[in-house]
Amino acid sequence: MDLNEELIQQITKMVVEKLEAASSGQTAQQTTSEQKVKLFSQQPVGQLEVETLKNSPSGAVTFHSMTEEPQRAIATVKPKPTTAFGKPKAEPEEDRFAEYRKKTPARIGVGRAGSRPKTKTWLQFRLDHAAAVDAVYGEVPDDLLDQLGLFQVQSQVADKEEYIRRPDLGRKLSDEAKAIIQERCKKSPVVQIVASNGLSAKAIEENLEDVYLSLEQSLNNMNIEMGTTFYVDKGRVAVMDDIGELIQPDVVVMLIGERPGLVSAESLSAYMCYKPRHGTIEADRMVISNIHKGGIPPVEAGAFLGTIIQKILKYEASGVSLIQKEG
Amino acid sequence: MNNFNKRETIISAGIDIGTSTTKLIISQFSLRNVAGATHVPRIEITDKEVLYKSPVFRTPLQDAVTINVAGVQQIIRSEYAKAGIQPSQIETGAVIITGETATKRNASEMLHQLSDEAGDFLVATAGPDLEGIIAAKGSGSYESSGKSGRVIANIDIGGGTANIAVFKDKQLLGTCTMHIGGRLIEFENGVIRTISPPVERLLRDQGYTLQVGDPQSAKAVSFVTTYMAEAMARILKKEIHAQDHILLLGHEPNWTQAVDTIVFSGGISECMYHHASDEIQEAQYDDIGIQLAEALLHNASLKHFTWQEPVETVRATVLGAGTQTTEISGATIQVAPHELPLKNIPIHQYDFEEDLATGLSHFEDAVQQAVTLYDSAKEGQNFALYLSNLPYLGFRDVQQLAKAIVQIMNQRPHPEQPIILVIQSDHAKVIGQTLAALQVKQSIICIDQINVETGDYIDIGKALTSGVVPVVVKTLTFHTT
Repeated sequence: MDLNEELIQQITKMVVEKLEAASSGQTAQQTTSEQKVKLFSQQPVGQLEVETLKNSPSGAVTFHSMTEEPQRAIATVKPKPTTAFGKPKAEPEEDRFAEYRKKTPARIGVGRAGSRPKTKTWLQFRLDHAAAVDAVYGEVPDDLLDQLGLFQVQSQVADKEEYIRRPDLGRKLSDEAKAIIQERCKKSPVVQIVASNGLSAKAIEENLEDVYLSLEQSLNNMNIEMGTTFYVDKGRVAVMDDIGELIQPDVVVMLIGERPGLVSAESLSAYMCYKPRHGTIEADRMVISNIHKGGIPPVEAGAFLGTIIQKILKYEASGVSLIQKEG
Repeated sequence: MNNFNKRETIISAGIDIGTSTTKLIISQFSLRNVAGATHVPRIEITDKEVLYKSPVFRTPLQDAVTINVAGVQQIIRSEYAKAGIQPSQIETGAVIITGETATKRNASEMLHQLSDEAGDFLVATAGPDLEGIIAAKGSGSYESSGKSGRVIANIDIGGGTANIAVFKDKQLLGTCTMHIGGRLIEFENGVIRTISPPVERLLRDQGYTLQVGDPQSAKAVSFVTTYMAEAMARILKKEIHAQDHILLLGHEPNWTQAVDTIVFSGGISECMYHHASDEIQEAQYDDIGIQLAEALLHNASLKHFTWQEPVETVRATVLGAGTQTTEISGATIQVAPHELPLKNIPIHQYDFEEDLATGLSHFEDAVQQAVTLYDSAKEGQNFALYLSNLPYLGFRDVQQLAKAIVQIMNQRPHPEQPIILVIQSDHAKVIGQTLAALQVKQSIICIDQINVETGDYIDIGKALTSGVVPVVVKTLTFHTT
């Protein structure tokens, strides 16, 4: 790359002049004979106020200084933020995104550094992305399932890689799983609850207990019979069809980890279907999604699921058919 | 059975009984689930349509200190008939007794009678602060404060009082009420018929003499209106003189940001803008109203503010009462249908400060305080407990909380009364169901996502088809002079 030596000289001269002016408190004298170099617009462009990120999500990135900052010896070098962007405002304008931030976890008004996101924003993004990946590859701790008294079975998927590549295998129970379910589950219950990690083990870890216990209480209050709840490792939503064939319940409720996103990696969905069997169409499944700390509180979701199940049983339909029957 | 997918409508009535005039408005609200199909429903009022506006009637009074209840009932009955509405059709709304009418001897008694006459709907009364807020909502000031980013003062001036409410970005910054109104001096055949006590005090203070029987053109009369306009400007700028306290009703202005836009509503603003000039006037006025409007229009100090014309003049308060007082609860709640509607339930707030353990350790105090505040005679005035700033709750936390609620509610003087809970966060259904699972003897009314505080009163309407309940939040403070 060719460097324009003349330009470099001019810039150096300008900088020196500015520094001198800054230290002496005077404005540099512009020599009229000199061609003025314009490297960038003298007028401010775009969003200029510094936006402060309030209520940062859990796991927010913070900085710690790892080295001791040496005291600057040259007292004359004082950066003056008055050159390119004009005078700093006496009073910073109010944070105009504050209202919006209360309503969305989206990364709005985070500011920028030149054409890039700020380091803090970028690191937060990387962290959230990593959390999403971890959620997919994580495992549900055994003691959570033990505490809730759930036994565990496998889908036909061998490992996580296959789970991602072969959704069809995640929709089927292994032969061993079928045998265990036959042996241990109550047959033809009104409601069969199934949990599965799906795409987020973290969702199960964080929310299953609260949703499940609250749903159980809700069904008990309404005297709706529950079957034997169990856990399917690496299941997909439609594995409920296999389960429906085996156990013959009226309603299956599947609590499954959602595909993680950058806002939350621990969001849980509750899929519900009236009499799911082989050949059930997707339109007959229904879902309440977004169950997590920052969405629908898990305990409230469990309580609400009871009401929906009551409705499914009343109309003997779910999904689009339910809406049609409701009229 | 809840059906969240249907659009549903409810009829709301607003009745404003003011110092000079009484008016009524019937409107219809459309409610819809605005949440996506895979989300927990969120029911909101999506449309408001005014079905009927009554003429402006003169408020029937028996004498200076007594409202003519039969007269008010007669107006309501005939206006309902004209609107083609049965009292039983009205599911929400508010009756507001405003200005000096609220100090009338039988105001409180009349409200109870009206609730029977006007339908089994929600009846509210206003303290002066709430009046100002409701008028600002009816006049359009509240709405426009959300768009302009300016500090807007709505000044609703009727017969007896001027109610100022200051908003910015739809947030209430403060209120103030003044003895400024059209009916504070009344005339008859060109001479003075009545002078209200605050005006008498003002005149005495300023060295003027004015008596009943003096001519309408007396100098003191124009002094009063000019002084009122000047005092209004000072109050808006918060530069109150000692002698202005005579015109203050209650507290001093309590907003902190400088007002930049002013909006006049109420009967006096009708004298300024003549929105309703083509209507047949049922009420005739013979008072300082027009002079006061002139004084305000020509006051030099008030010209420093930006003036904005209201959407509604004389009907701002009734429109606010009829269309802006109803809130809709969260969609997932637990209510015992046979206990509804509930009226005039005082709120006692208990703040958990984001910590369950600490919150529960002083939980018993909540009931003691509520009983001291609202039922000191232990006559059985029930209250609603408002749980705010709850931390994130797991199921076991909810169980712990529910057990504590049962325990403290059983310490009430009349423990068999319904347990009424208002939860700030979205937890009403699970707390309600947990209480049911504990097999509590009392009926449970557990609603959420309504913002209230200690000192508020709420009316909870009957559950709608979508399972939500309409709620009117109000304050019942009658002011006395």
